[in-house]
Amino acid sequence: MKLELIANTPDIETLIATAMLATTSRSKPSDIFYRLAKDPESVAKLVSRVEVHHRSILDHNRLCWIMEGTEDEVLDIILRHRFFSFTRLSDSKWLLSTNLRNAFSYANDHRDSFGKILIDSLRDVTPTIHLKIGRELR
Amino acid sequence: MKVELLSYMSIEKIHEELRGFDLPDEELLPHLSFTFALEGISRTCSHQLVRHRLASYSQQSQRYIEVRRLKEHVVTPSTISEKAPGLFASFIRAASGTYHDLLEEGVPREDARFVLPNATETNLLMTMDGRALHHFFGLRCCVRAQWEIRALADEMLVEVRAIEPELFRKVGPYCYQLGYCPEGRFSCGKMNETIERYRRLAQT
Repeated sequence: MKLELIANTPDIETLIATAMLATTSRSKPSDIFYRLAKDPESVAKLVSRVEVHHRSILDHNRLCWIMEGTEDEVLDIILRHRFFSFTRLSDSKWLLSTNLRNAFSYANDHRDSFGKILIDSLRDVTPTIHLKIGRELR
Repeated sequence: MKVELLSYMSIEKIHEELRGFDLPDEELLPHLSFTFALEGISRTCSHQLVRHRLASYSQQSQRYIEVRRLKEHVVTPSTISEKAPGLFASFIRAASGTYHDLLEEGVPREDARFVLPNATETNLLMTMDGRALHHFFGLRCCVRAQWEIRALADEMLVEVRAIEPELFRKVGPYCYQLGYCPEGRFSCGKMNETIERYRRLAQT
């Protein structure tokens, strides 16, 4: 099975940090977002505090991959996790998407080769969270 | 009420990566996502909003945030402003007074908030995929939708039409999307003017 990340919501970590503060801050979410967009250090500090079991804040994004795999492999993923979306591209190619929360949840629950390549593909788009949660999954 | 689209995944980017596969936009809808900041809506509105379950919400917490100056942070329906503004204002004053009295008595915020009205303003971050958003507009832009969530849906529609005009040009209430009203005997009977309204909105 091969997986290639082809598209994602921009500013994923800024959105996650915004979601973290939106629940507990008096400030408006748009003000928080634009303030954090200019302050990557604060974003990294905030998202490195993401708690293992409080991951709803990881919902505010979407990631798209092209997956090369068999029908059985796709069926296996669909049966094990409700929140992956698939579109068939050819006999062995699929467009796959989900959000960060589901990706980490799959990897945490199943610890299989698909979960591993899924998480590995996130290294560049969510570097802080990849490091933090990747460590927890090891 | 303030609606702002903070981030979204562009359909153009996916089409570029999928050159040679020629997928229609409709097939790609579940793979797209749109994140909005929704600010200054009432709790009444947010209660309706969260019934759309294929979405993610991060809402300002009344457990963490004390509501100060309640009378400046309520949404007042126009019918109340027209027919009974005094009645509403005195209730808000009373609710605010009781809320702060409870806090002074040592009642925690999470319990004192039980006396706060549905009119209290809230802020939240909401993310929906493209398909869920089409459905949301189908239901909530409808003339039969409650006025506040309809106003919210209209503002969200204007935001997404500005950045993905082709994807959302034919999106609005279900009568506009389908060409007929699916509300049956509950139909508003104003389908033609509603369609015209969303056609005009499509041009903004």
